[in-house]
Amino acid sequence: MKSSKVSFYFGVGLFATLALVAVLAPLIAPYDPIAQDLLHTLANPSTQHLLGTDQLGRDVMSRLIWGARIDLTIGVLAVLLPFIVGTLLGLISGWRGGLFDTLLMRFVDITIAFPFYVLAIALVVVLGAGAKSIIIAISLVGWVAYCRIVRANVLVTKELDYIHAAKLSGLPTRRILLKHIFPNVISQAIVFSMSDIVLSILAIVSLGYLGLGIPIPTPEWGSMIQEGQAYILAQWWIATIPGVMVVLTGLSLSLIGDGLVKRLDH
Amino acid sequence: MTTPLVSVRDIHVEIDTRRGLLKALRGISFDVEEGASVGIVGESGSGKSIALKAILGLLPKNARMTSGEIWINGVQINALPKNEQRKVITSNIGMIFQDAIAALNPVMTIGKQITEIPIYNLGWDKERAKSYALEIMNLVGIPEAERRFEVYPHQLSGGLRQRIAVAIALSGQPKVLFCDEPTTSLDVTIQAQVLKLLMDLRETKGTGLVFVTHDLAVVNEICDDLKVMYAGRLVETGAVASIFDSPSHPYSYSLLKAVPDVDHPVERLFSITGEAPDLTEPVVGCPFSPRCFASDATCEKSEPNLVLSGDKMAACYHSSTFLRAEGK
Repeated sequence: MKSSKVSFYFGVGLFATLALVAVLAPLIAPYDPIAQDLLHTLANPSTQHLLGTDQLGRDVMSRLIWGARIDLTIGVLAVLLPFIVGTLLGLISGWRGGLFDTLLMRFVDITIAFPFYVLAIALVVVLGAGAKSIIIAISLVGWVAYCRIVRANVLVTKELDYIHAAKLSGLPTRRILLKHIFPNVISQAIVFSMSDIVLSILAIVSLGYLGLGIPIPTPEWGSMIQEGQAYILAQWWIATIPGVMVVLTGLSLSLIGDGLVKRLDH
Repeated sequence: MTTPLVSVRDIHVEIDTRRGLLKALRGISFDVEEGASVGIVGESGSGKSIALKAILGLLPKNARMTSGEIWINGVQINALPKNEQRKVITSNIGMIFQDAIAALNPVMTIGKQITEIPIYNLGWDKERAKSYALEIMNLVGIPEAERRFEVYPHQLSGGLRQRIAVAIALSGQPKVLFCDEPTTSLDVTIQAQVLKLLMDLRETKGTGLVFVTHDLAVVNEICDDLKVMYAGRLVETGAVASIFDSPSHPYSYSLLKAVPDVDHPVERLFSITGEAPDLTEPVVGCPFSPRCFASDATCEKSEPNLVLSGDKMAACYHSSTFLRAEGK
Protein backbone atom coordinates (compact mmCIF):
# COMPACT_ATOMS: atom_id res chain seq x y z
CA MET A 1 0.00 0.00 0.00
CA LYS A 2 1.27 3.46 -0.88
CA SER A 3 2.18 5.74 2.00
CA SER A 4 -0.48 8.28 0.99
CA LYS A 5 -3.10 5.60 1.36
CA VAL A 6 -1.70 4.58 4.74
CA SER A 7 -1.97 8.13 6.04
CA PHE A 8 -5.48 8.46 4.60
CA TYR A 9 -6.69 5.32 6.38
CA PHE A 10 -4.83 6.39 9.53
CA GLY A 11 -6.75 9.69 9.40
CA VAL A 12 -10.04 7.89 8.86
CA GLY A 13 -9.30 5.50 11.73
CA LEU A 14 -8.30 8.28 14.08
CA PHE A 15 -11.36 10.37 13.31
CA ALA A 16 -13.63 7.34 13.57
CA THR A 17 -12.20 6.61 17.02
CA LEU A 18 -12.78 10.18 18.15
CA ALA A 19 -16.30 10.12 16.74
CA LEU A 20 -16.95 6.81 18.47
CA VAL A 21 -15.75 8.25 21.77
CA ALA A 22 -18.09 11.20 21.27
CA VAL A 23 -21.06 8.99 20.45
CA LEU A 24 -20.45 6.57 23.30
CA ALA A 25 -19.62 9.29 25.87
CA PRO A 26 -22.47 8.36 28.26
CA LEU A 27 -21.32 4.72 28.28
CA ILE A 28 -17.57 5.06 28.52
CA ALA A 29 -17.09 8.14 30.71
CA PRO A 30 -16.21 6.83 34.16
CA TYR A 31 -17.80 9.74 36.05
CA ASP A 32 -20.43 12.43 35.64
CA PRO A 33 -18.45 15.21 33.93
CA ILE A 34 -19.99 17.98 36.01
CA ALA A 35 -20.12 16.23 39.38
CA GLN A 36 -17.90 18.13 41.80
CA ASP A 37 -15.90 16.54 44.56
CA LEU A 38 -14.49 19.41 46.56
CA LEU A 39 -12.60 17.09 48.88
CA HIS A 40 -10.45 15.78 46.05
CA THR A 41 -9.58 18.80 43.90
CA LEU A 42 -6.56 18.83 41.60
CA ALA A 43 -5.80 15.17 42.29
CA ASN A 44 -2.92 13.58 40.40
CA PRO A 45 -3.67 10.75 37.96
CA SER A 46 -4.48 7.53 39.77
CA THR A 47 -6.34 4.31 39.11
CA GLN A 48 -9.51 6.05 40.31
CA HIS A 49 -9.09 9.16 38.16
CA LEU A 50 -6.94 8.21 35.17
CA LEU A 51 -6.22 11.84 34.33
CA GLY A 52 -6.73 13.25 37.81
CA THR A 53 -9.32 15.85 38.76
CA ASP A 54 -9.60 19.58 38.16
CA GLN A 55 -9.90 22.51 40.57
CA LEU A 56 -13.49 21.52 41.41
CA GLY A 57 -12.71 17.86 41.78
CA ARG A 58 -14.33 16.89 38.46
CA ASP A 59 -12.89 13.88 36.64
CA VAL A 60 -10.72 15.21 33.77
CA MET A 61 -11.05 12.00 31.74
CA SER A 62 -14.84 12.18 31.79
CA ARG A 63 -14.84 15.86 30.87
CA LEU A 64 -12.50 15.11 27.99
CA ILE A 65 -14.82 12.41 26.65
CA TRP A 66 -17.95 14.53 26.97
CA GLY A 67 -16.05 17.47 25.50
CA ALA A 68 -15.41 15.42 22.35
CA ARG A 69 -19.15 15.11 21.96
CA ILE A 70 -19.75 18.86 22.16
CA ASP A 71 -16.78 19.97 20.08
CA LEU A 72 -17.15 17.43 17.28
CA THR A 73 -20.90 17.93 16.96
CA ILE A 74 -20.63 21.69 16.74
CA GLY A 75 -17.57 21.42 14.50
CA VAL A 76 -19.38 19.23 11.98
CA LEU A 77 -22.64 21.19 12.12
CA ALA A 78 -20.82 24.50 11.74
CA VAL A 79 -19.35 23.15 8.48
CA LEU A 80 -22.38 21.33 7.13
CA LEU A 81 -24.60 24.39 7.17
CA PRO A 82 -22.22 26.77 5.34
CA PHE A 83 -21.27 23.91 3.00
CA ILE A 84 -24.88 23.53 1.84
CA VAL A 85 -25.67 27.24 1.67
CA GLY A 86 -22.35 28.22 0.07
CA THR A 87 -22.48 25.43 -2.52
CA LEU A 88 -26.03 26.26 -3.53
CA LEU A 89 -25.36 29.97 -3.89
CA GLY A 90 -22.06 29.31 -5.67
CA LEU A 91 -23.80 27.04 -8.18
CA ILE A 92 -26.47 29.60 -8.99
CA SER A 93 -24.06 32.51 -8.99
CA GLY A 94 -21.58 30.83 -11.33
CA TRP A 95 -24.25 29.50 -13.66
CA ARG A 96 -26.45 32.58 -13.92
CA GLY A 97 -23.81 35.30 -13.74
CA GLY A 98 -25.12 38.80 -14.25
CA LEU A 99 -26.29 41.14 -11.52
CA PHE A 100 -27.01 38.38 -9.00
CA ASP A 101 -23.46 37.11 -9.34
CA THR A 102 -21.93 40.59 -9.09
CA LEU A 103 -23.87 41.54 -5.98
CA LEU A 104 -23.29 38.23 -4.26
CA MET A 105 -19.57 38.29 -4.99
CA ARG A 106 -19.19 41.85 -3.64
CA PHE A 107 -20.99 40.71 -0.49
CA VAL A 108 -18.58 37.76 -0.29
CA ASP A 109 -15.64 40.12 -0.71
CA ILE A 110 -16.86 42.28 2.15
CA THR A 111 -17.30 39.26 4.41
CA ILE A 112 -13.85 37.93 3.53
CA ALA A 113 -12.31 41.35 4.17
CA PHE A 114 -13.12 40.99 7.89
CA PRO A 115 -10.78 38.80 9.95
CA PHE A 116 -12.60 35.54 10.67
CA TYR A 117 -12.32 35.73 14.47
CA VAL A 118 -13.29 39.38 14.75
CA LEU A 119 -16.49 38.67 12.87
CA ALA A 120 -17.21 35.39 14.66
CA ILE A 121 -16.61 36.91 18.10
CA ALA A 122 -18.76 39.92 17.27
CA LEU A 123 -21.57 37.66 16.13
CA VAL A 124 -21.35 35.45 19.23
CA VAL A 125 -21.39 38.52 21.46
CA VAL A 126 -24.50 39.76 19.68
CA LEU A 127 -26.24 36.38 19.62
CA GLY A 128 -25.22 35.39 23.17
CA ALA A 129 -22.98 32.49 24.17
CA GLY A 130 -24.13 28.93 23.52
CA ALA A 131 -23.89 26.15 20.99
CA LYS A 132 -26.61 27.56 18.73
CA SER A 133 -25.05 30.98 18.37
CA ILE A 134 -21.60 29.49 17.75
CA ILE A 135 -22.99 27.41 14.89
CA ILE A 136 -24.84 30.40 13.48
CA ALA A 137 -21.80 32.68 13.80
CA ILE A 138 -19.40 30.26 12.12
CA SER A 139 -21.94 29.50 9.40
CA LEU A 140 -22.53 33.16 8.65
CA VAL A 141 -18.81 33.68 8.18
CA GLY A 142 -17.96 30.31 6.65
CA TRP A 143 -20.35 29.95 3.70
CA VAL A 144 -18.45 32.50 1.61
CA ALA A 145 -15.49 30.17 1.14
CA TYR A 146 -17.71 27.41 -0.31
CA CYS A 147 -19.52 29.93 -2.45
CA ARG A 148 -16.22 31.12 -3.93
CA ILE A 149 -14.81 27.65 -4.51
CA VAL A 150 -17.95 26.29 -6.14
CA ARG A 151 -18.57 29.41 -8.24
CA ALA A 152 -15.01 29.37 -9.60
CA ASN A 153 -15.38 25.71 -10.57
CA VAL A 154 -18.75 26.31 -12.18
CA LEU A 155 -17.26 29.09 -14.29
CA VAL A 156 -14.63 26.69 -15.61
CA THR A 157 -16.93 23.71 -16.01
CA LYS A 158 -19.76 25.49 -17.77
CA GLU A 159 -17.49 26.31 -20.69
CA LEU A 160 -16.59 22.66 -21.23
CA ASP A 161 -17.97 20.92 -24.26
CA TYR A 162 -20.11 18.43 -22.39
CA ILE A 163 -22.02 21.30 -20.82
CA HIS A 164 -22.41 22.90 -24.24
CA ALA A 165 -23.59 19.54 -25.50
CA ALA A 166 -26.05 19.21 -22.63
CA LYS A 167 -27.38 22.71 -23.23
CA LEU A 168 -27.57 22.05 -26.94
CA SER A 169 -29.48 18.84 -26.42
CA GLY A 170 -32.13 20.86 -24.63
CA LEU A 171 -31.91 19.20 -21.24
CA PRO A 172 -33.70 21.09 -18.47
CA THR A 173 -31.42 23.55 -16.65
CA ARG A 174 -32.08 21.85 -13.33
CA ARG A 175 -30.82 18.56 -14.69
CA ILE A 176 -27.72 20.16 -16.22
CA LEU A 177 -26.91 21.83 -12.91
CA LEU A 178 -27.51 18.76 -10.77
CA LYS A 179 -26.19 15.99 -13.00
CA HIS A 180 -23.51 17.65 -15.09
CA ILE A 181 -22.21 20.63 -13.14
CA PHE A 182 -22.69 19.70 -9.49
CA PRO A 183 -20.80 16.38 -9.39
CA ASN A 184 -17.90 17.99 -11.23
CA VAL A 185 -17.50 21.02 -8.99
CA ILE A 186 -18.16 19.53 -5.58
CA SER A 187 -14.89 17.67 -4.96
CA GLN A 188 -12.83 20.73 -4.09
CA ALA A 189 -15.51 21.94 -1.71
CA ILE A 190 -15.51 18.55 0.03
CA VAL A 191 -11.74 18.60 0.40
CA PHE A 192 -11.90 22.12 1.77
CA SER A 193 -14.62 21.14 4.23
CA MET A 194 -12.20 18.68 5.87
CA SER A 195 -9.77 21.42 6.79
CA ASP A 196 -12.71 23.68 7.53
CA ILE A 197 -13.95 21.32 10.26
CA VAL A 198 -10.53 21.68 11.85
CA LEU A 199 -10.85 25.46 11.66
CA SER A 200 -14.33 25.46 13.11
CA ILE A 201 -13.32 23.17 15.99
CA LEU A 202 -10.41 25.51 16.63
CA ALA A 203 -12.86 28.41 16.56
CA ILE A 204 -15.13 26.72 19.09
CA VAL A 205 -12.17 25.94 21.32
CA SER A 206 -10.87 29.51 20.97
CA LEU A 207 -14.27 30.98 21.74
CA GLY A 208 -14.49 28.63 24.73
CA TYR A 209 -11.06 29.76 25.86
CA LEU A 210 -12.19 33.39 25.58
CA GLY A 211 -15.24 32.61 27.68
CA LEU A 212 -17.58 33.06 24.71
CA GLY A 213 -18.19 29.39 24.12
CA ILE A 214 -20.51 26.87 25.65
CA PRO A 215 -21.55 28.15 29.11
CA ILE A 216 -19.84 26.39 32.02
CA PRO A 217 -20.04 23.84 33.53
CA THR A 218 -20.69 21.96 30.28
CA PRO A 219 -17.44 20.13 29.44
CA GLU A 220 -15.72 21.58 26.39
CA TRP A 221 -12.05 21.40 25.38
CA GLY A 222 -11.56 25.15 25.03
CA SER A 223 -12.89 26.04 28.45
CA MET A 224 -10.95 23.09 29.92
CA ILE A 225 -7.72 24.58 28.57
CA GLN A 226 -8.69 28.00 29.88
CA GLU A 227 -9.55 26.69 33.35
CA GLY A 228 -6.51 24.45 33.48
CA GLN A 229 -3.92 27.06 32.58
CA ALA A 230 -3.86 28.42 36.14
CA TYR A 231 -2.44 25.06 37.29
CA ILE A 232 -0.16 24.49 34.32
CA LEU A 233 3.01 24.26 36.49
CA ALA A 234 1.76 21.68 38.98
CA GLN A 235 -0.95 19.81 37.04
CA TRP A 236 0.13 20.40 33.43
CA TRP A 237 -2.09 17.66 32.01
CA ILE A 238 -5.36 19.44 32.82
CA ALA A 239 -4.76 22.07 30.14
CA THR A 240 -2.49 20.06 27.86
CA ILE A 241 -4.54 16.93 27.23
CA PRO A 242 -7.55 18.81 25.77
CA GLY A 243 -5.05 20.63 23.53
CA VAL A 244 -3.68 17.29 22.38
CA MET A 245 -7.22 16.19 21.57
CA VAL A 246 -7.69 19.26 19.37
CA VAL A 247 -4.41 18.48 17.60
CA LEU A 248 -5.42 14.84 17.06
CA THR A 249 -8.78 15.88 15.61
CA GLY A 250 -7.07 18.37 13.33
CA LEU A 251 -4.48 15.82 12.27
CA SER A 252 -7.06 13.17 11.43
CA LEU A 253 -9.15 15.52 9.31
CA SER A 254 -6.11 16.94 7.53
CA LEU A 255 -4.96 13.44 6.62
CA ILE A 256 -8.43 12.64 5.31
CA GLY A 257 -8.44 15.88 3.31
CA ASP A 258 -5.03 15.14 1.79
CA GLY A 259 -6.09 11.62 0.91
CA LEU A 260 -9.26 12.92 -0.74
CA VAL A 261 -7.27 15.40 -2.85
CA LYS A 262 -5.12 12.55 -4.17
CA ARG A 263 -8.14 10.37 -4.90
CA LEU A 264 -10.27 13.03 -6.52
CA ASP A 265 -7.40 14.13 -8.73
CA HIS A 266 -7.61 10.90 -10.67
CA MET B 1 -36.77 22.54 -54.73
CA THR B 2 -37.15 21.29 -51.18
CA THR B 3 -36.51 23.50 -48.17
CA PRO B 4 -32.91 23.20 -47.01
CA LEU B 5 -32.39 21.62 -43.59
CA VAL B 6 -30.36 24.56 -42.36
CA SER B 7 -30.54 27.95 -43.94
CA VAL B 8 -28.52 30.91 -42.75
CA ARG B 9 -29.38 34.36 -44.07
CA ASP B 10 -27.01 37.29 -43.74
CA ILE B 11 -26.02 36.82 -40.11
CA HIS B 12 -23.87 39.32 -38.30
CA VAL B 13 -22.25 38.52 -34.97
CA GLU B 14 -20.41 40.97 -32.78
CA ILE B 15 -18.15 40.06 -29.88
CA ASP B 16 -17.45 42.45 -27.05
CA THR B 17 -13.71 42.29 -26.43
CA ARG B 18 -11.27 44.29 -24.38
CA ARG B 19 -10.07 46.02 -27.53
CA GLY B 20 -13.56 46.96 -28.66
CA LEU B 21 -16.39 45.48 -30.67
CA LEU B 22 -15.13 42.67 -32.87
CA LYS B 23 -17.23 41.95 -35.95
CA ALA B 24 -16.76 38.19 -36.01
CA LEU B 25 -19.35 37.48 -38.69
CA ARG B 26 -20.08 40.15 -41.24
CA GLY B 27 -23.04 38.84 -43.15
CA ILE B 28 -22.81 35.21 -44.15
CA SER B 29 -25.50 33.18 -45.88
CA PHE B 30 -25.55 29.54 -46.82
CA ASP B 31 -27.80 26.50 -47.04
CA VAL B 32 -27.24 22.94 -45.97
CA GLU B 33 -29.46 20.45 -47.79
CA GLU B 34 -30.61 17.30 -46.07
CA GLY B 35 -27.94 14.62 -46.34
CA ALA B 36 -25.35 17.04 -47.72
CA SER B 37 -21.75 17.11 -46.62
CA VAL B 38 -20.41 20.60 -46.28
CA GLY B 39 -16.92 21.68 -45.28
CA ILE B 40 -16.20 25.11 -43.83
CA VAL B 41 -12.54 26.10 -43.88
CA GLY B 42 -10.57 29.17 -42.95
CA GLU B 43 -7.76 30.17 -40.66
CA SER B 44 -8.14 30.79 -36.93
CA GLY B 45 -10.34 33.80 -36.28
CA SER B 46 -12.06 33.65 -39.66
CA GLY B 47 -15.35 33.03 -37.88
CA LYS B 48 -16.01 29.42 -38.81
CA SER B 49 -16.57 28.16 -35.28
CA ILE B 50 -18.59 31.24 -34.35
CA ALA B 51 -20.85 30.53 -37.31
CA LEU B 52 -21.59 27.05 -35.99
CA LYS B 53 -22.14 28.38 -32.48
CA ALA B 54 -24.49 31.08 -33.74
CA ILE B 55 -26.65 28.50 -35.48
CA LEU B 56 -26.72 26.31 -32.38
CA GLY B 57 -27.44 29.16 -30.00
CA LEU B 58 -24.18 28.50 -28.15
CA LEU B 59 -22.59 31.91 -28.59
CA PRO B 60 -20.48 33.00 -25.62
CA LYS B 61 -21.95 35.58 -23.25
CA ASN B 62 -20.02 38.48 -24.75
CA ALA B 63 -21.18 37.71 -28.30
CA ARG B 64 -24.50 38.45 -29.90
CA MET B 65 -26.16 38.11 -33.24
CA THR B 66 -27.05 41.60 -34.37
CA SER B 67 -28.97 40.72 -37.50
CA GLY B 68 -29.80 37.86 -39.82
CA GLU B 69 -32.07 34.85 -39.92
CA ILE B 70 -31.48 31.22 -39.08
CA TRP B 71 -33.92 28.66 -40.45
CA ILE B 72 -33.86 25.04 -39.41
CA ASN B 73 -36.14 22.61 -41.18
CA GLY B 74 -38.40 25.42 -42.33
CA VAL B 75 -38.66 27.13 -38.92
CA GLN B 76 -37.04 30.47 -38.28
CA ILE B 77 -35.47 29.73 -34.92
CA ASN B 78 -34.06 33.11 -34.00
CA ALA B 79 -37.64 34.40 -33.84
CA LEU B 80 -38.62 31.74 -31.29
CA PRO B 81 -38.27 31.84 -27.49
CA LYS B 82 -35.14 30.12 -26.14
CA ASN B 83 -36.73 26.84 -25.06
CA GLU B 84 -38.61 26.45 -28.35
CA GLN B 85 -35.34 27.09 -30.20
CA ARG B 86 -33.68 24.24 -28.35
CA LYS B 87 -36.41 21.79 -29.35
CA VAL B 88 -36.00 22.58 -33.03
CA ILE B 89 -32.21 22.51 -32.85
CA THR B 90 -32.07 19.29 -30.85
CA SER B 91 -34.39 17.36 -33.10
CA ASN B 92 -32.41 18.29 -36.18
CA ILE B 93 -28.77 18.84 -35.29
CA GLY B 94 -26.21 16.84 -33.33
CA MET B 95 -22.89 18.35 -32.39
CA ILE B 96 -19.46 16.75 -32.22
CA PHE B 97 -16.84 18.79 -30.44
CA GLN B 98 -13.17 19.22 -31.03
CA ASP B 99 -11.96 17.76 -27.76
CA ALA B 100 -13.47 14.36 -27.04
CA ILE B 101 -12.13 14.49 -23.50
CA ALA B 102 -13.96 17.71 -22.67
CA ALA B 103 -17.04 16.54 -24.54
CA LEU B 104 -17.81 13.80 -22.04
CA ASN B 105 -18.90 14.27 -18.46
CA PRO B 106 -16.16 12.58 -16.42
CA VAL B 107 -18.43 11.54 -13.55
CA MET B 108 -21.25 9.98 -15.54
CA THR B 109 -21.23 6.52 -17.08
CA ILE B 110 -21.14 6.26 -20.86
CA GLY B 111 -24.56 4.64 -20.85
CA LYS B 112 -26.18 7.41 -18.85
CA GLN B 113 -24.76 10.01 -21.20
CA ILE B 114 -25.97 8.27 -24.33
CA THR B 115 -29.45 7.57 -22.96
CA GLU B 116 -29.92 11.03 -21.47
CA ILE B 117 -31.32 12.73 -24.54
CA PRO B 118 -33.70 9.89 -25.50
CA ILE B 119 -35.02 9.74 -21.93
CA TYR B 120 -35.34 13.45 -21.25
CA ASN B 121 -36.14 14.83 -24.66
CA LEU B 122 -37.80 12.03 -26.55
CA GLY B 123 -39.56 10.74 -23.42
CA TRP B 124 -38.47 7.15 -23.88
CA ASP B 125 -38.37 4.67 -21.01
CA LYS B 126 -35.03 3.32 -19.77
CA GLU B 127 -35.31 -0.04 -21.52
CA ARG B 128 -35.97 1.44 -24.92
CA ALA B 129 -33.28 4.10 -24.50
CA LYS B 130 -30.76 1.45 -23.50
CA SER B 131 -31.43 -0.83 -26.44
CA TYR B 132 -31.24 2.16 -28.76
CA ALA B 133 -27.99 3.28 -27.12
CA LEU B 134 -26.47 -0.17 -27.60
CA GLU B 135 -27.59 -0.06 -31.20
CA ILE B 136 -25.83 3.24 -31.90
CA MET B 137 -22.79 2.13 -29.93
CA ASN B 138 -22.56 -0.83 -32.30
CA LEU B 139 -23.16 1.50 -35.21
CA VAL B 140 -20.24 3.76 -34.28
CA GLY B 141 -18.04 0.71 -33.86
CA ILE B 142 -17.65 0.35 -30.11
CA PRO B 143 -16.80 -3.26 -29.34
CA GLU B 144 -18.36 -4.87 -26.25
CA ALA B 145 -21.02 -2.18 -26.07
CA GLU B 146 -22.86 -3.94 -23.26
CA ARG B 147 -19.81 -3.80 -20.98
CA ARG B 148 -18.80 -0.28 -22.04
CA PHE B 149 -22.29 0.95 -21.22
CA GLU B 150 -21.35 0.87 -17.55
CA VAL B 151 -17.88 2.44 -17.65
CA TYR B 152 -16.70 6.00 -17.17
CA PRO B 153 -15.01 8.10 -19.88
CA HIS B 154 -11.53 7.94 -18.33
CA GLN B 155 -11.55 4.16 -18.72
CA LEU B 156 -11.62 4.48 -22.50
CA SER B 157 -9.00 5.36 -25.10
CA GLY B 158 -9.07 8.61 -27.07
CA GLY B 159 -10.48 7.02 -30.20
CA LEU B 160 -13.24 5.27 -28.29
CA ARG B 161 -14.11 8.51 -26.51
CA GLN B 162 -14.54 10.31 -29.80
CA ARG B 163 -16.78 7.44 -30.94
CA ILE B 164 -18.81 7.83 -27.75
CA ALA B 165 -19.07 11.55 -28.49
CA VAL B 166 -20.42 10.67 -31.93
CA ALA B 167 -22.85 8.22 -30.33
CA ILE B 168 -24.11 10.92 -27.96
CA ALA B 169 -24.52 13.34 -30.86
CA LEU B 170 -26.53 10.65 -32.67
CA SER B 171 -28.67 9.77 -29.66
CA GLY B 172 -31.16 12.54 -30.40
CA GLN B 173 -31.64 11.17 -33.92
CA PRO B 174 -30.42 14.32 -35.69
CA LYS B 175 -30.62 14.82 -39.44
CA VAL B 176 -27.25 16.51 -39.60
CA LEU B 177 -24.08 16.41 -37.51
CA PHE B 178 -22.15 19.60 -36.88
CA CYS B 179 -18.50 18.78 -36.39
CA ASP B 180 -16.09 21.34 -34.99
CA GLU B 181 -12.66 19.98 -35.91
CA PRO B 182 -13.55 16.55 -34.53
CA THR B 183 -10.29 14.96 -35.59
CA THR B 184 -7.77 17.61 -34.59
CA SER B 185 -7.04 16.12 -31.17
CA LEU B 186 -6.70 12.57 -32.45
CA ASP B 187 -3.71 10.76 -33.89
CA VAL B 188 -3.68 9.97 -37.58
CA THR B 189 -4.93 6.37 -37.51
CA ILE B 190 -7.81 7.25 -35.18
CA GLN B 191 -8.53 10.30 -37.34
CA ALA B 192 -8.96 8.05 -40.34
CA GLN B 193 -11.27 5.74 -38.39
CA VAL B 194 -13.48 8.57 -37.19
CA LEU B 195 -13.69 10.07 -40.69
CA LYS B 196 -14.61 6.68 -42.09
CA LEU B 197 -17.28 6.35 -39.40
CA LEU B 198 -18.79 9.71 -40.33
CA MET B 199 -18.80 8.80 -44.00
CA ASP B 200 -20.43 5.44 -43.25
CA LEU B 201 -23.11 7.16 -41.18
CA ARG B 202 -23.90 9.44 -44.04
CA GLU B 203 -24.19 6.51 -46.39
CA THR B 204 -26.24 4.21 -44.17
CA LYS B 205 -28.42 6.66 -42.25
CA GLY B 206 -28.34 9.65 -44.56
CA THR B 207 -26.97 11.84 -41.76
CA GLY B 208 -25.69 15.10 -43.20
CA LEU B 209 -22.39 16.60 -42.13
CA VAL B 210 -21.21 20.12 -41.59
CA PHE B 211 -17.50 20.04 -41.05
CA VAL B 212 -15.56 22.96 -39.66
CA THR B 213 -11.84 22.39 -40.03
CA HIS B 214 -8.61 23.82 -41.29
CA ASP B 215 -7.52 20.50 -42.63
CA LEU B 216 -8.07 20.62 -46.38
CA ALA B 217 -7.18 16.97 -46.81
CA VAL B 218 -10.10 16.04 -44.56
CA VAL B 219 -12.44 18.23 -46.57
CA ASN B 220 -11.32 16.64 -49.81
CA GLU B 221 -11.93 13.23 -48.28
CA ILE B 222 -15.45 13.59 -46.98
CA CYS B 223 -17.14 16.78 -48.19
CA ASP B 224 -19.06 17.53 -51.35
CA ASP B 225 -19.45 21.25 -50.85
CA LEU B 226 -16.88 23.68 -49.60
CA LYS B 227 -17.20 27.12 -48.04
CA VAL B 228 -14.08 29.18 -47.55
CA MET B 229 -14.23 31.85 -44.87
CA TYR B 230 -12.03 34.85 -44.40
CA ALA B 231 -12.39 37.74 -41.96
CA GLY B 232 -15.96 36.89 -40.99
CA ARG B 233 -17.27 36.41 -44.50
CA LEU B 234 -17.57 33.69 -47.09
CA VAL B 235 -15.06 34.33 -49.85
CA GLU B 236 -15.71 31.28 -51.97
CA THR B 237 -18.31 28.52 -52.08
CA GLY B 238 -18.79 25.64 -54.47
CA ALA B 239 -18.22 21.96 -55.06
CA VAL B 240 -15.08 20.66 -53.38
CA ALA B 241 -13.73 19.10 -56.54
CA SER B 242 -14.27 22.28 -58.52
CA ILE B 243 -12.56 24.52 -55.96
CA PHE B 244 -9.67 22.11 -55.53
CA ASP B 245 -9.32 21.95 -59.28
CA SER B 246 -9.50 25.67 -60.03
CA PRO B 247 -10.10 28.02 -57.15
CA SER B 248 -11.84 31.30 -57.90
CA HIS B 249 -10.46 33.27 -54.99
CA PRO B 250 -6.78 34.00 -54.36
CA TYR B 251 -7.25 33.03 -50.70
CA SER B 252 -8.55 29.55 -51.54
CA TYR B 253 -5.80 29.24 -54.10
CA SER B 254 -3.15 30.18 -51.52
CA LEU B 255 -4.59 27.80 -48.94
CA LEU B 256 -4.47 24.94 -51.41
CA LYS B 257 -0.99 25.86 -52.51
CA ALA B 258 0.19 25.83 -48.91
CA VAL B 259 -0.70 22.13 -48.57
CA PRO B 260 2.37 19.94 -49.06
CA ASP B 261 2.16 17.63 -52.04
CA VAL B 262 3.72 14.19 -51.69
CA ASP B 263 4.11 13.78 -55.44
CA HIS B 264 5.82 17.12 -55.99
CA PRO B 265 7.94 17.85 -52.95
CA VAL B 266 9.32 21.37 -52.79
CA GLU B 267 12.21 22.92 -50.88
CA ARG B 268 10.05 25.48 -49.16
CA LEU B 269 6.29 25.40 -48.68
CA PHE B 270 4.19 28.24 -49.98
CA SER B 271 2.87 30.50 -47.24
CA ILE B 272 0.45 33.38 -47.06
CA THR B 273 2.33 36.42 -45.82
CA GLY B 274 0.97 38.87 -43.30
CA GLU B 275 -1.79 38.40 -40.77
CA ALA B 276 -5.57 38.22 -40.82
CA PRO B 277 -7.11 41.68 -40.42
CA ASP B 278 -8.13 43.05 -37.04
CA LEU B 279 -11.92 42.87 -37.08
CA THR B 280 -12.32 45.45 -34.34
CA GLU B 281 -11.33 47.97 -37.04
CA PRO B 282 -13.72 48.82 -39.87
CA VAL B 283 -12.99 46.88 -43.06
CA VAL B 284 -12.17 49.04 -46.06
CA GLY B 285 -11.83 47.33 -49.40
CA CYS B 286 -11.15 43.61 -49.77
CA PRO B 287 -9.89 42.36 -46.37
CA PHE B 288 -7.55 39.94 -48.11
CA SER B 289 -5.94 42.53 -50.40
CA PRO B 290 -2.92 43.34 -48.15
CA ARG B 291 -1.89 39.68 -48.33
CA CYS B 292 -3.01 39.01 -51.86
CA PHE B 293 -0.67 38.52 -54.80
CA ALA B 294 -3.29 39.69 -57.29
CA SER B 295 -4.56 42.82 -55.59
CA ASP B 296 -4.59 46.22 -57.28
CA ALA B 297 -6.18 49.63 -56.73
CA THR B 298 -9.77 48.37 -57.25
CA CYS B 299 -9.41 45.93 -54.36
CA GLU B 300 -8.69 48.68 -51.87
CA LYS B 301 -11.74 50.79 -52.73
CA SER B 302 -14.62 48.57 -51.76
CA GLU B 303 -15.21 45.09 -50.41
CA PRO B 304 -16.22 42.62 -53.14
CA ASN B 305 -19.45 40.63 -52.73
CA LEU B 306 -19.96 36.96 -53.33
CA VAL B 307 -20.85 36.64 -57.02
CA LEU B 308 -21.18 33.78 -59.45
CA SER B 309 -17.90 32.84 -61.06
CA GLY B 310 -18.25 29.83 -63.33
CA ASP B 311 -19.77 26.98 -61.29
CA LYS B 312 -18.75 28.61 -58.00
CA MET B 313 -19.35 31.79 -56.04
CA ALA B 314 -16.41 33.98 -55.15
CA ALA B 315 -15.89 37.36 -53.54
CA CYS B 316 -13.06 38.69 -55.67
CA TYR B 317 -12.83 41.31 -58.41
CA HIS B 318 -10.26 39.22 -60.20
CA SER B 319 -11.80 35.79 -59.74
CA SER B 320 -11.55 34.88 -63.39
CA THR B 321 -8.18 36.46 -64.10
CA PHE B 322 -5.91 36.09 -61.06
CA LEU B 323 -4.81 32.58 -61.99
CA ARG B 324 -3.47 33.87 -65.29
CA ALA B 325 -1.63 36.62 -63.45
CA GLU B 326 -0.04 33.96 -61.29
CA GLY B 327 1.17 32.29 -64.48
CA LYS B 328 -1.00 29.19 -64.46
